[in-house]
Amino acid sequence: MGYETIAIVMFALMMLMLMTGQRVFGAIGFVAVVAALLLWGRGGSDLGFAAAMKLMKWYPLLTLPMFIFMGYVLSESRIADDLYRMFHVWMGPVKGGLAIGTIGLMVLVSAMNGLSVAGMAIGATIALPELLRRGYDKRMVTGVIQAGSALGILVPPSVVLVLYALIARQPVGQLWLAGVFPGLMMAGLFMLYITIRCQLQPELGPVLPKSERTVPLGEKLRLLRAGLLPIIIFGSMMIPFVNGWTSLVESSAIGALAAFVAAVLKGRMTRKVFETSVRQTLAITCMFMWIILAALGFGAVFDGLGAVRAIEALFSEQLGLNPWTTLILMQVSFLLMGTFLDDTAMLVIVAPLYVPLVGALGFDLIWYGVLYTITTQIAYMTPPFGYNLFLMRAMAPPEIRLKDIYSSIIPFVGVMILALGLVMVFPQIALWFPEYVYGR
Amino acid sequence: MTRRVSAPIHLSPTTQTGIRIGNSAVSCPVAGDMDDGLEGQGHRLPDLLLRYVRIVDAVNHRLGRVIMYGIFVIAAILLWSSISKTFFLPSLWTLEMAQFAMVAYYILGGPYSIQLGSNVRMDLFYGSWTDRRKAWFDAFTVLFLIFYLGVLLYGGISSTAYAFEYGERSYSSWRPYMWPIKTLMCIGILLMLLQSLSELVKDVAKLKGIEI
Repeated sequence: MGYETIAIVMFALMMLMLMTGQRVFGAIGFVAVVAALLLWGRGGSDLGFAAAMKLMKWYPLLTLPMFIFMGYVLSESRIADDLYRMFHVWMGPVKGGLAIGTIGLMVLVSAMNGLSVAGMAIGATIALPELLRRGYDKRMVTGVIQAGSALGILVPPSVVLVLYALIARQPVGQLWLAGVFPGLMMAGLFMLYITIRCQLQPELGPVLPKSERTVPLGEKLRLLRAGLLPIIIFGSMMIPFVNGWTSLVESSAIGALAAFVAAVLKGRMTRKVFETSVRQTLAITCMFMWIILAALGFGAVFDGLGAVRAIEALFSEQLGLNPWTTLILMQVSFLLMGTFLDDTAMLVIVAPLYVPLVGALGFDLIWYGVLYTITTQIAYMTPPFGYNLFLMRAMAPPEIRLKDIYSSIIPFVGVMILALGLVMVFPQIALWFPEYVYGR
Repeated sequence: MTRRVSAPIHLSPTTQTGIRIGNSAVSCPVAGDMDDGLEGQGHRLPDLLLRYVRIVDAVNHRLGRVIMYGIFVIAAILLWSSISKTFFLPSLWTLEMAQFAMVAYYILGGPYSIQLGSNVRMDLFYGSWTDRRKAWFDAFTVLFLIFYLGVLLYGGISSTAYAFEYGERSYSSWRPYMWPIKTLMCIGILLMLLQSLSELVKDVAKLKGIEI
């Protein structure tokens, strides 16, 4: 059996095992160790544990529990309430303003935290009920929150880019900087879409009633202080990092501490919030780490087979495709896979196959990191599998049905595909900032 | 099929030899049980298995409840590292200590995360199945998980034995010995394995309509 065949059989077997509904890490790990044992006999038996040792050495992964903890503290303690109030008062008088404000809220949450779950939780618990009460169209609202929370993994800090960096062997700092402008551009495009749509159909996002609009200016200005929180947290992480006083990982610990202290100072750190945050941090960290551990083993077998080179040869030599066609085909297949693959699974399974291939084709891996993240974001939101879709279902009030959630994302996915295309055609959107800062 | 879900578990010594013994011959209505030979009123889990499940679940639960505060240990190490770097001489040990803490955190916390049900599954089909069908599939597929953990443990033990034998140290200026963390990892993987076996027992019990 040729190496490509083995690789394809392994991949197919893994997909089959995943379909049985066993825990993802068990399914991936099993295929990995069985393949290693069959290929290399007893010598293959230490592959699983070697992956654990490799994972331990991978320092930036320590940001993961920090950001998870921080995300839980921010969403469980509801310290983002004031932040929402700020946008509510300032943006309310505009058509669709609350929806635009929610995107703004999401950008700020994204700047504090590296996961999309935190934005999702904050959006669904704080913004969603408010917007529905003000007569906003429910599809518009659920779409906005899902799209907005997806920004969390593109705007730094971003955990997805940390994982990508692990796979692509690229510096995390440059990847984060590369995510800044595409992230802001995408937020801008969302806002533009909402504005245009609400101008055309004002019933989707009605302006606030007059009684609510007449907030005295002093009160309005006072609410701006809420904006200090994300600035302080973002600053506490980024200033020491950019000045080289701390590493990325240490900064994430400072950020977690800052969020924790903010929650305590605001009197929101109750026993229940504390318990949930600490317990869920362990649960989610374990979930991630065990999947990554299994996937690293899987990737090691793939590496050992030289499967990537074989597939690259298949594309470029046997099929005679040029790099750009291959890249576009890859993104399309990635999107298709994203519709039925779980997001974490996709992150750690597909990436080890795709990323080296992109490198072999001669593309910039920092730039591809951004494309990769946007594609993952889209995958987060597309049915039948979408992490955000399920989270939304779990968090939304019952009057929002699954059908609404599914149809709500269509226009936003369209905007994201547009953003993906823009970054593909104009790589400088992503690259100028890291180039400027690092002076490559 | 699930009408006897709430059959009680008896802790009498007669149940130690196997799942199918007990008072089924006496109390089961013969006609009513023709649909499924495995189900029967009063079928119990052997005492040994039941005790196994209780002990493993309890140990892993308690361990997990302690380990979850490890997040503060990791954070403290990282914060000390940033403070010492900024104001005094940078500490040699913080980077590796944080890595060790992280490994201990997720490997020893793993069994508790299984108990919490936080390990994602691909629920394209799984999500819409009945509890019974889920248990059927899990009872088989958990064997894959057990196999994986078994190989992981095998590799871990040989690596740990090496670390003990040659006094293996990390390649860094701090040069810590590697055996303590490797031993911890092996213990964690073993507990994970025991927890998976406990899950298997619970799935089988569910299929038999026994409550634990």
